[in-house]
Amino acid sequence: MSGYPGRVTEIFDQNGLRMGRIDYSGTVNSACLEYVPEAEVGSFVIVHAGFALSVLDEEEAKKTFELWDELLAQAESESRDKD
Amino acid sequence: MKYLDEFRNPAVARSLLAEIKAVTTRPWVIMEICGGQTHSLIKNGIDQLLPKEIELVHGPGCPVCVTPLELIDKALAIAALKDVIFTSFGDMLRVPGSKKDLFLVKSEGGDIRIVYSPLDALTLARNNPTKKVVFFAVGFETTTPNTAMAVWQASREGLTNFFLLVAHVLVPPAMMALLDSPENRVQAYLAAGHVCTVTGWRQYEPIAEKYKVPIVVTGFEPTDLLEGILMAVRQLENGEARVETNTLAW
Repeated sequence: MSGYPGRVTEIFDQNGLRMGRIDYSGTVNSACLEYVPEAEVGSFVIVHAGFALSVLDEEEAKKTFELWDELLAQAESESRDKD
Repeated sequence: MKYLDEFRNPAVARSLLAEIKAVTTRPWVIMEICGGQTHSLIKNGIDQLLPKEIELVHGPGCPVCVTPLELIDKALAIAALKDVIFTSFGDMLRVPGSKKDLFLVKSEGGDIRIVYSPLDALTLARNNPTKKVVFFAVGFETTTPNTAMAVWQASREGLTNFFLLVAHVLVPPAMMALLDSPENRVQAYLAAGHVCTVTGWRQYEPIAEKYKVPIVVTGFEPTDLLEGILMAVRQLENGEARVETNTLAW
């Protein structure tokens, strides 16, 4: 999988490496968490080739979706104006 | 899937497409650098929904495509050795060398295992001390740190039977090589978000400045790509050449 977001459900040690069980909406796999020391159980991480590359900022995500709602509302309003 | 489905929102995609159509006045050639972007563009039919003035050219960002034949041949020779367990990501197994591919070597008795991570190859080395375990280390800035972690861990554990066939490459030199070509038609790039997660995006600023090409960093989902195309077209139409990251992502 490349660059997929999943939720950390468990953190464990494997031969001295910090690893996590990652749940991708039902598909569960493990990934190395050494590059994301800030990841905790419950964090969303972006995983690429068996390693978590970054922790997803859920506050930022929320802001993004709010921005979308604004854009869509604006598009609908413009479309009504044309009608 | 949470944090993926949101980026496939048809209403947002329609809105972005309408905006792209509204701002496009001339033909433009845009290259998406990463194979993952290409896959998403084609799978979601984005290339067919864009105005005819926008031409997407598929870029070099796919390890399968850019690993030199010489290294594939080395991989085939190593994988055929009796005391070797050869490990690779699955997509390298069908890549043709001069005469064979890894699948054929496997059918001839080569011990070739598909791994998901270089750490899986390390586990094989740990569990098979009498064998030499070789990992075919391919890919760009996104997979290189993972290979490095496997090397660091092998050293920490004192493993002496873990080896790499290294074929790692960087994205910026490939971008510049294309722009330096006399036959180049690319006027803007869509750079890959996961690469920038590792490297940041400052590395692209000298390229945008020197070659006067807009570079927009995008994710891999339809709305990421559409917004990236919109931002690239806006820059092209305005005669700008900056590095930007798509704002609907985070």
